[in-house]
Amino acid sequence: MAEQHASHGGMVKRHAGSDRILHWLFAAGIFFLMGTGFLPIIGVQFEWVTLHWAAGLVLLVTLFLHIWRAWMKVRLRTIWVGVTDVRLMLDSLAGKNARPGKYSPAQKLMHLGVSVLVLATLVTGLVMMVKVDTPFWERNLYLVSDGIWGVIYVVHGLAALTLITTIMLHVYFVIRPEKRLYLRSIFFGKISSDEHRLHHDSEKWAGD
Amino acid sequence: MEIFRYSSDAWGQTTLEGISWDLLPFFLGMGALVIVVHALIKWLSARNQG
Repeated sequence: MAEQHASHGGMVKRHAGSDRILHWLFAAGIFFLMGTGFLPIIGVQFEWVTLHWAAGLVLLVTLFLHIWRAWMKVRLRTIWVGVTDVRLMLDSLAGKNARPGKYSPAQKLMHLGVSVLVLATLVTGLVMMVKVDTPFWERNLYLVSDGIWGVIYVVHGLAALTLITTIMLHVYFVIRPEKRLYLRSIFFGKISSDEHRLHHDSEKWAGD
Repeated sequence: MEIFRYSSDAWGQTTLEGISWDLLPFFLGMGALVIVVHALIKWLSARNQG
């Protein structure tokens, strides 16, 4: 692939600089939250609560910026899972050369999964902050019944645990040799025109 | 392996406290299993084609 890239030299823009920065801010935020959330559970003790909720608020701001960027550029359809993706997956399973637009069905499903899990942890995390003293308010332990608190903690913990598996798979698939073009593009923003021709349908996506 | 954590409230009633952290190795293991199986399938199919 590197030889093909060198021989043609053309590049196709895949991710704008601001989107790449938001992706890495998101990644750093999630790793920090997982570290401050899970390290105390496995026995690494430190004052994690303030670090955890503060990082959660930073992640929330990052999420709003990401949604605003996606909304302003009207690119929601490029990442939304639809009937076309089901057809693409069936064609791919049947051995046909099915090329997607900007994102493959697997990438869209990964994005959908991470979105649901991150939203579940953020929403429940925000509610759980009511039980913590912050510079903004004093804690209230009795906002809802013990049973409801239990459900909120279950959703937060289950989503966080599922995020571990999801992120393991995300990292694995992006470092696989045939997918490294996407790893490169989230650093440098571009793929080669040969990679674009090989992996994407240019009628559906001709570059950003 | 427990799925949930429970505690007792001021009246001695059992209350749900959250998901059990005993499940942490399970979620790590599931990720590792999918990675190993996928890598194995890819390796075998590449070997059969080559």
